[in-house]
Amino acid sequence: MELTKNITLGVYLPGETAIHRLDPRTKIIAATILITLLLFIKSYEAYGVFLIFTAAIIIVAGIPFSYALCGLKPMLPVLILMWVFQLFLYSTAEAEVLFSWWLFTATDEGLHMGNLITLRVLFLFTVTTILTLTTSIVNLTDGLESLLKPLRKIGLPSQELVMTMVIALRFVLILAEELDKIVKAQMARGVAFDRGNFIQKTRKVFPVFLPLFINAFKRAEELIVAMEARSYSGGKGRTKMKTLHPGRIDLAAGGIMVLFAALMVYLIISAVPRV
Amino acid sequence: MNPLIEAINLSYTYRAGSGKEVKALNGVNLQVARGEILAITGQNGSGKSTLARHFNGLLTPSKGEVLIDGLSAADRINIPAIRKLVGMVFQNPDNQLISSIVEEDIAFGPENLGLPPTVIRDRVNHALESLNLQDLRHEPPNQLSEGQKQLVAIAGVIAMKPKCIVFDEPTAHLDPRGRRKVLESILRLNRDEGITTILLTHYMNEAIHCDRMIVMDRGIVEMEGTPCEVFGRGDRILSLGLDYPVAAQLAQGLRLKGIKMPNDIIHTEEILSYLCQLK
Repeated sequence: MELTKNITLGVYLPGETAIHRLDPRTKIIAATILITLLLFIKSYEAYGVFLIFTAAIIIVAGIPFSYALCGLKPMLPVLILMWVFQLFLYSTAEAEVLFSWWLFTATDEGLHMGNLITLRVLFLFTVTTILTLTTSIVNLTDGLESLLKPLRKIGLPSQELVMTMVIALRFVLILAEELDKIVKAQMARGVAFDRGNFIQKTRKVFPVFLPLFINAFKRAEELIVAMEARSYSGGKGRTKMKTLHPGRIDLAAGGIMVLFAALMVYLIISAVPRV
Repeated sequence: MNPLIEAINLSYTYRAGSGKEVKALNGVNLQVARGEILAITGQNGSGKSTLARHFNGLLTPSKGEVLIDGLSAADRINIPAIRKLVGMVFQNPDNQLISSIVEEDIAFGPENLGLPPTVIRDRVNHALESLNLQDLRHEPPNQLSEGQKQLVAIAGVIAMKPKCIVFDEPTAHLDPRGRRKVLESILRLNRDEGITTILLTHYMNEAIHCDRMIVMDRGIVEMEGTPCEVFGRGDRILSLGLDYPVAAQLAQGLRLKGIKMPNDIIHTEEILSYLCQLK
């Protein structure tokens, strides 16, 4: 199955480490805190501390470093492009010129900005990867459902949203298989997807996606009937088989997170503005 | 005792009042007794799926009435109760499994009923056991064979503890092995757990295992009786677009060759034992 192989969405590395055993809610909240912190970090020192912290998590979770990083590979061109853009385009009046070439001028501020943003994206990616690598999809959705539940009071259909996610996750693979089937059926009838210029190639995509979408809608209709037949009538009155029980380990993790967050906040506030 | 399901002069029209009306059911009268296993056959478009969807409240009658354990399906208030009484299993297992993990999917129905977590856990365990799926409980459905997926779908209905299960061509997507397994499970659930079973099928070799069968055509019940009675009524079944079971076909062939065969042969074992006696 060529197409399903490339879907890394929610790849989960089963394990029994402390990180794996954490309540999914703890992990989701921790990841949210880490991501929020990332948005404010502007100094290399703070990034250094952040690096040590994430590396420690990766080691505790028993994730091979190569595994944690291999997901970055497809993002590299984008990262490099982003860095180059910042390098040449960001500057203020007081910036020092590093070098200039033709229309482009690189400044020390551009360099700093480029580095910061690239690091930020790298760490964002790493944090979310750690979350998905150590939390199964089902746990993740359970945690999300439980966390979003209070928002029901202000009218957010949280359970329905999570149900939509659960179904989407199940159907990603089904639709990928179906896409594969349609592509092969078209190839069997002589369509060469890899030949022709951009416009010709694009035109060949329509006969693939049209049947895919039509099938997806048909499936959706059948699924609705099947769900209704099994007494589904929205999130109201629904219970869950699995209930989440945070334990001591979650308390410990929470404590560590608070300490780390305090440290980061201190580093962020005390960072000397470079300009 | 009153029948579990009763259809009285039931009619249903798709797209009623749009000018493109399709009359799918045309005055169906039917009773399903408690604990029995009933086969509903008929060619495509004969109305059997439409009929079946009335038993679970997915459709409400255009005319006539459907009573499920005395509850009228026309009344919206009764629908939740009816869905608890009658479960449904559909043709394509991929389009009825919801979760990415087998046991979670089986829990979906009981969760909808709002049961406490421990009760749901017990029911899921029971459903897994009664279909021999214990080993697959943590598997994702897309790793299973089509037959196994269909068994998971059945388990999902069993976990809701219905009095009746309607199977809408549950084996149409399966290979012979998967078909055998699913049919065996359906028959076993009926026998061991006393679940009233309605089996919609195109396969006459599945219908012969049922207590009773009806043949539908153009929205009405054309034939009704035990499989022996139905297949014993000459070529009527062929004119309704269906076929004889394999054993009956063989018996008919032998009859044409001048060998005297009884009229009511439908099971392979019957024809075997009869032929052995001839010798």
